[in-house]
Amino acid sequence: MTTVQRRSAIPTFDNSFISRLQKQLPELVPPAIAIAIFLVVWQLFSWTPGATLPGPIQVVQDTWILIFWPFYDRGGIDKGLFWQILASLQRVAISYSLAAIVGISLGILIGTNKIMSKALDPIFQLLRTVPPLAWVPISLAALRQNEPAALFVIFITAIWPILINTAVGVTQIPQDYNNVAKVLQLNKKEYFLNILIPAALPYIFTGLRIAIGLAWLAIIAAEIVMSGIVGIGFFIWNAYQNNAVSEVILALVYIGIVGLLLDKLMAWVQTLILPAEQK
Amino acid sequence: MSIFVAVDQVDKAFDLKGGGQYIALKGIDLQIKKGEFVSLIGHSGCGKSTLLNMIAGLDLPTEGMVTLEGKRITRPGPDRMVVFQNYSLLPWRTVSENIALAVDAVMKDLPAGERRAIVERHIDMVGLRPHADKAPGMLSGGQKQRVAIARALATCPKLLLLDEPFGALDALTRGNLQEQLIQICEQNQVTAVMVTHDVDEAVLLSDRIVMLTNGPESKIGDILDVDIPRPRKRMEVVEHPSYYSLRSEMIYFLNQQKRIKQIRARKTANISRHGLEKVNLEIGFVPLTACAPLAVAKEKGFFVKHGLDEVNLVRETSWRGIVDGVTGGYLDAAQMPSGMPMWLTLGGHQNRPLPVVTALTMTRNGNAITLSKQFYDQGVRTLADFKRYLLASSHLRHTLGVVHPSSMHNMLLRYWLAAGGIDPDQDVDIKTIPPAQMVADLKAGSIDGYSVGEPWNIRAAAEGIGFTIATDLEIWLGHPGKVLGVRENWAAVYPNTHIALTKALLEACFYCSNPENAEEIRQILAQREYVSTDISYIQIDEPNNITCSLDHPMREYAHHQFYAESAINRPSRTEQIWIMTQLARWGETPFPRNWVEIVERICRVGVFSTAARELGLDISYIRQPIQLFDDTPFNTDDPIAYLNSLKIKRDFSVAEVILDQPRGMAA
Repeated sequence: MTTVQRRSAIPTFDNSFISRLQKQLPELVPPAIAIAIFLVVWQLFSWTPGATLPGPIQVVQDTWILIFWPFYDRGGIDKGLFWQILASLQRVAISYSLAAIVGISLGILIGTNKIMSKALDPIFQLLRTVPPLAWVPISLAALRQNEPAALFVIFITAIWPILINTAVGVTQIPQDYNNVAKVLQLNKKEYFLNILIPAALPYIFTGLRIAIGLAWLAIIAAEIVMSGIVGIGFFIWNAYQNNAVSEVILALVYIGIVGLLLDKLMAWVQTLILPAEQK
Repeated sequence: MSIFVAVDQVDKAFDLKGGGQYIALKGIDLQIKKGEFVSLIGHSGCGKSTLLNMIAGLDLPTEGMVTLEGKRITRPGPDRMVVFQNYSLLPWRTVSENIALAVDAVMKDLPAGERRAIVERHIDMVGLRPHADKAPGMLSGGQKQRVAIARALATCPKLLLLDEPFGALDALTRGNLQEQLIQICEQNQVTAVMVTHDVDEAVLLSDRIVMLTNGPESKIGDILDVDIPRPRKRMEVVEHPSYYSLRSEMIYFLNQQKRIKQIRARKTANISRHGLEKVNLEIGFVPLTACAPLAVAKEKGFFVKHGLDEVNLVRETSWRGIVDGVTGGYLDAAQMPSGMPMWLTLGGHQNRPLPVVTALTMTRNGNAITLSKQFYDQGVRTLADFKRYLLASSHLRHTLGVVHPSSMHNMLLRYWLAAGGIDPDQDVDIKTIPPAQMVADLKAGSIDGYSVGEPWNIRAAAEGIGFTIATDLEIWLGHPGKVLGVRENWAAVYPNTHIALTKALLEACFYCSNPENAEEIRQILAQREYVSTDISYIQIDEPNNITCSLDHPMREYAHHQFYAESAINRPSRTEQIWIMTQLARWGETPFPRNWVEIVERICRVGVFSTAARELGLDISYIRQPIQLFDDTPFNTDDPIAYLNSLKIKRDFSVAEVILDQPRGMAA
């Protein structure tokens, strides 16, 4: 007696791309549907009488040129979105790196040295709570020029999470590792390299990830206030002044996408450096 | 082997938040020789890890010091490598890198190739070659601990310190690792100190076991020597005769510590009532038919009647528990063998004289000597037969069990053997065993006979594993059995309570002597809180009843006498002097030069008389000499001459026994 084999209901293709896509379908379908619904709702709201904001269709129609020609450059601050975003990112890159270096060093100092911790803690706690925008006037007054002031604002915003998380990471080293170091009588350098840094790395990375998000936030705010520079923040403000609300909305979407990508970038760097079970 | 590590009068106190101090350890004195393996054992929180940390140098003592080869330990170092309880492997380094960290840090002056060779050798030593490049996250608990051990040994430390190394592992892994550790320690002649909870592990691995008492202010309770020869195999070490005795010693110690902790936790303030200083008494007893007066006094309300409202009877499994309770101070009073007050007073317990007084003799008779059935089958019926049998089988060692060196059973047994010409220590072995264990041991064949109070003799006869060769009727009719014992300083502080207690128990003895109450008393004793055995083994009645029938020869019951005329309940000085001579005769205690003083202090005839008078009982009696079965005269006026006249005895010493602290001179 022969047995009948049932063929699977879903037709499988040889094409590996499509088969991978099929496997990812459960992941991709819900967000896609949610985005579609959101757009529909937004469009409906924009059609109600008395709506102040344009709907998605209107936005795309108005910013058509900006979407498809991001690389144009007509001099001054009239540049394509790509150049605007790049300028902002450059500022973030410089300040963030500086903040990372200073933050990690100070964090280790506070974490390992009790006296320094007691001395500096009140100052840090006070400065930490000042929002980025509030730093703008004082940095402009001190540095007088827009570019350095913007860099300073990003720096002062991004440094706090890095510093505090590093300090916590250093103090949270399990007593066991410290005991091992004591018994083996490791000198300071060996201790730092072999025990302190690797043990505090997860905390440091948490700080770094939080800081990149804050840095991106800060630059937008700073650029809005400082006029006349190339940057996505000033682009938004300029568009608002010219009542080009669609451009503002487009810029918002771009800012969000870039922020998301930055975070994903940091996460990927983390997987490179930290071993799997330490996360 | 010279002293390698010395812990010298070490104290450790921790400062508490809000002022005050917690003294974890007090007065720890310990010497460890080179190549020795020492285990520290004790309950949680008793300071074992603290002590280990101080030896490692991770913590410093508040008083005293720890030295290694004569040099004081002030900081941790690789010569005292530690294996921690939770492995402490660096998770971002592989197995070989973890070991290499230690080797590189410690052996900086060796070339890199040699260091690598050391690392590889140690990886192989613990059997982790296939896992050498894995991160610790990928290893099991047992493998991680092996890495920790390899790391510790790779630096060739002088001292290896292990803090509950196998505590977090399952039983199989633990067994394997213990064997590996034994091999490694033997091959490399490692000196090691290990903290552990596991009693079996301690016996398996160590040369000496140090037992710490409970905190706060933990001290060394006792140090046991493990005499099991090396090399030891886990499966074979259980067959060594010392294994179980060491194990039970440790468990007894740990249980005692737990009880002391519970007693400390309970409110132990004295409750004064009815004109008595303390009505909440803890009275110890051992489950025997002889404990009837105590049971009756509790159940029939005699304690309450005389004002002792909150008496708690504490059931101990052996006389050792009674000794520990009385010396440790957590028993107010106890029913003791009649020789025990004298034994404690003369320093029988750890050579520390503790004056214990007795005001009441609760039972007389009630003992017998049982021998294993095999003797009966070989025709042994009397003492002379036994002697002949021993001469014939002189190549075998025969063991006889007694409950305690100071018990009347021991003294009667020895007297009986000696009178028959048998030396109790040369020709046979006498071993101390708790009463309830005797029947089991006789059945298992580890002892050949015993001398104990009822019901254990009738029980052996009823089960067919032994026979009664002599009851006390045939050795010393009317000998004292159990007495009431309290510490002398307790009696001084609570005189009225002492009298009330004596009254209650004397009335209970009177109650027990009444044959109409026998059935009721048997029911009480058979309960679980008291003797907890089959009721047919408990006999209270007078002799000549069915158990002593002709169908079952050699199955006589030694009946207790609780109360009778001529004030048998009085503490008798004559008997105490006889006990003194017998204790000295067998080398248990020295014979006191000041024997008159001691006898007068121990026998509280005054308390007994007051109690009896208040109960309205007649206490007139005539002093009579002791009558033993071999008719050797006992002269109370010259006990030393009597001792000298005995043929079989050990070397005895005559010494002044000082009971009081020297008094300071007035300025």
